Amino acid sequence: MSYYFAIVGTQDNPLFEHEFGTSKQGGDGVARFREEARHMNQFIVHSSLDIVDEVQWNGGQMYLKHIDRFHNNYIFCFITAGSVKFLLLHNPDTHTPPNASSRSSAATARTSAYGQSASTTYNPTAPAVEEAIKNFFVEVYDVWVKTIMNPFFKLDMKVTSPVFRGRVAAAARKHL
Amino acid sequence: MTSPPYGSPIKSPQLGAIESSIVFPKRKGGSPASSLSNLPYRRSNQSLSSLFASTSSLPGSGPSSGTATPTATVARDSVFSPGGTLRPRSPAGAPVVDSSGLRDVLIRSFAPHVAVLASADTDEVIRQKGFPGGFLQLIRPFGQQVQGKVTVRDSIGASKSFEDFGIRFTGLKDGLNPPKPPPQPRRSAEVGEKAVNGGAEPWVESFPAWARTGGDVAQIEELVDRHLSYAEMQYGGSMSDYLKHDGDAAGRAHTSGAPSPFYTLYFRRLLSALPMSPHETFSHPVACIIAISSRNPSPIEDLRRLYNATNTGDLRLPQWVNNEFLRYYVLVHDEDHDDISKSTALYEQMKRHFGLHCHLLRLRSLHVLPSDDDSVRLPTTEWISAMEELTEIHRRGNSETDADPTPCLFDSDVSALRTLVRELTMQSIIPSMERSLTAWNEQVLSRRRGLSGRFMSLSKRWTPFGSSSRNSSGPLAGLQASGGGTSGNYDSLQGFYRPESAEATMRKLADYAVMLRDFKLAASTYDLLRADFNGDKAWRYYAGANEMAAIATLLDAHLRSGAEKSTSTKSRLEAVDGWLETASYSYVTRCMAPFYGLRTLAVGGELLKMRGTSTGGDEAAKWGSKILEDRLVGPVGRPLFMERISASFGSKLGRGELRWGGRRRKAAFWAVLAVENWLKMDKVVQAGKMLESVSELYGLTDAGGVAVQEDEEKGGGAEKAKPRELKFAEMKDFIEELREAVVARKLAAHGYEGEESPEADETTLVEEVSEKLDARPHRMSLIGIAAPPPMAGMDVTPLSPLKVRDEEPNFRDDSFE
Repeated sequence: MSYYFAIVGTQDNPLFEHEFGTSKQGGDGVARFREEARHMNQFIVHSSLDIVDEVQWNGGQMYLKHIDRFHNNYIFCFITAGSVKFLLLHNPDTHTPPNASSRSSAATARTSAYGQSASTTYNPTAPAVEEAIKNFFVEVYDVWVKTIMNPFFKLDMKVTSPVFRGRVAAAARKHL
Repeated sequence: MTSPPYGSPIKSPQLGAIESSIVFPKRKGGSPASSLSNLPYRRSNQSLSSLFASTSSLPGSGPSSGTATPTATVARDSVFSPGGTLRPRSPAGAPVVDSSGLRDVLIRSFAPHVAVLASADTDEVIRQKGFPGGFLQLIRPFGQQVQGKVTVRDSIGASKSFEDFGIRFTGLKDGLNPPKPPPQPRRSAEVGEKAVNGGAEPWVESFPAWARTGGDVAQIEELVDRHLSYAEMQYGGSMSDYLKHDGDAAGRAHTSGAPSPFYTLYFRRLLSALPMSPHETFSHPVACIIAISSRNPSPIEDLRRLYNATNTGDLRLPQWVNNEFLRYYVLVHDEDHDDISKSTALYEQMKRHFGLHCHLLRLRSLHVLPSDDDSVRLPTTEWISAMEELTEIHRRGNSETDADPTPCLFDSDVSALRTLVRELTMQSIIPSMERSLTAWNEQVLSRRRGLSGRFMSLSKRWTPFGSSSRNSSGPLAGLQASGGGTSGNYDSLQGFYRPESAEATMRKLADYAVMLRDFKLAASTYDLLRADFNGDKAWRYYAGANEMAAIATLLDAHLRSGAEKSTSTKSRLEAVDGWLETASYSYVTRCMAPFYGLRTLAVGGELLKMRGTSTGGDEAAKWGSKILEDRLVGPVGRPLFMERISASFGSKLGRGELRWGGRRRKAAFWAVLAVENWLKMDKVVQAGKMLESVSELYGLTDAGGVAVQEDEEKGGGAEKAKPRELKFAEMKDFIEELREAVVARKLAAHGYEGEESPEADETTLVEEVSEKLDARPHRMSLIGIAAPPPMAGMDVTPLSPLKVRDEEPNFRDDSFE
């Protein structure tokens, strides 16, 4: 399982990006995106901003849960009070490329275990998945608020702080 | 993306570079891209180019190769082949939501099939006339549009008239043969050479009956690939032209949601020449023309013999085809050699023997030359299978002459044939179909639908007892049988229902209703059938019923105006999603019939897109991406369907100032994927076109291809205006890479010319560009080799945009104004 986490500003500009793998079930916390298709993550996340723009008005929640899917990449979103979006791309299957899911890959995915369930039966709306990602988002939000309280931080400025990155990584290790 | 300000626009540096560096001397027709050099039709052949033009269905495209290539602008309002004789079709009395016209392709594709069976002497007469394919070749193009209005009475007695009604003439057993690949590889030039050298026979040889059967995705792919390669060659000659006019053409095409001509071709071939199958009756003959000529020594006996052959002899269709179709007898009178009084007498005799379904066709048997007075070329046939078109392309590509090999016929022959088709349709086919519809409706459907029918279907489902009488004859007996055991009529061993059984009759009824465009009746019937087929575990039938239920429901909803939409339609529309899902699952997974699965999803997606409601675009895109995920299409179909998904998303514009609910970014994403796939296939022109719309969708350029400037509201106004760019570094790089790859391929196609060209200015420009491109190691691979190294730990700063920008300072400096 690989994750790509991006914080997107109000002008569709990335403020922070981070890739990591799962630390649960013996994962080593390293992302396993295919090298030649890594730019796809940005494209996928960027394209799902369309959905974010639409569903953010549907309810008062900041955690929008699972909003979009591209092949077997699942997008989760958390929207902050300042209209900065946290987007988490989740690729449950480590063996298949994120942009090419075929029947054969679906077949291998069926055998490869994702936790207790295979990735074909991976359910992005399952309470456990939603809860874990929510906890991750909330913790990142906590750190985020502290970062932007920095008086020198301007709107839509990139976050370069290594401390922030470290905190996000710690949250990822803890929850995902 | 915020609303882009349109301040003093400057040219995007990239575009500027392209335009200034491409000042190559134009070469006529030559300059083939390296990948095309192995294709056998490199010579620019007039007859071939006209073929390409006519089959990608462009009106008004002359034989000159310049105008023959499909461009987005021309193709927008062109769905129908010029055909020379076709009239503008009616939109079937409904407001056209989408200008794409794919709906009309769809409606017209479900046309009654008429088998043609000609005696040997008839074919001989026609062959002397210059039609090696015999009577079938002569009459085929005239069926695609019946002249004048055709009025059809629907199940509730209201009559509707259509101007674009057509029928399909096929050989009697055309749809039966599974499309086989030819014995030798098609691509090798020697094979084609041999076929041409053979002389007169190869026509028959190269047009065997199996070629007239469609239903093979691979063949469609190859055909579209041929057309694409041809378009590449055409554009290869005049690149600067292309850049000038296509920038906005592509943009306009994108916003109007019109499909590319290649997609239309793909779609049409997908629906052309459906193979005969037990589970659907569209390609089963509705009628059969039995033709004899006036040269026949024993006409009546021959007619009887042919008639019997279709019933019991070797021409009998398989037992799952209902054999009770109409027989229509045609007497071909040879005006040039035979006596009309004798023929008239014979015709009277025929009428006495065979009833009213007879026609006297007066043709001249002389061979017509194109230079003759009142000679007319045989119109092209629209609905041919992919294989047939491929064969034709191959044949023309190998022929030595530039002359159009399409045979000609006299003006009088044309009007005689038109009259035949019209009479056949109006006086025989439609009345007999209407009669069958009414009869089946009364005998089978209303019983099934009424109280007792419901009870029967209940008892059928829940009671294990009951007699399964197989020896039933006639629809009524079949119905009683269906009241019996669970698998009453379904022969699960051979996998079909007997044509007399109630289920098969209902399916035929619904198919007839679709052919006569009574979609409401069809939709409700398919819906009933779904349950029956599901109970019998007849998966192919089940998938077919689901597919057609969805299609008929959507078409029904299309053809109604807003006020007429009833609640029942609405509730059915909600079920469409599930039906499509079931149909594709049953076809692909249970029946291993990917062709039908592709047809279901492509047609369903198109129809949903045409609905134009708020969710239509999203749903269409969903089915489109399902096609890609299931790998139902090959390498040619992938980018075409990606383009289509992009267009589906693009058609959803969103509301208000902020374009709430729009799908611009998604559309752009899919367009990027399409560009990538086009490049993988070396289709530079298509890639370039899509790249234009990518820039436009991402808001980098406006509709005219001019770079949009950065929004400078928060920065100081004194700063130099920058062209707008994507904020995500890797996305920007990737698009940049694609752009460079497009330019590089175009240059590569012209490369040798550039070196030869004596002008110093141009050579330096060229060298500059190519050097720069060579310096980048990842130019050919396209895909993120340039991406930063993988992050091992978290303290590595990923994805720095500066890093990549540093690699190409040259590029920015010299081309920026």
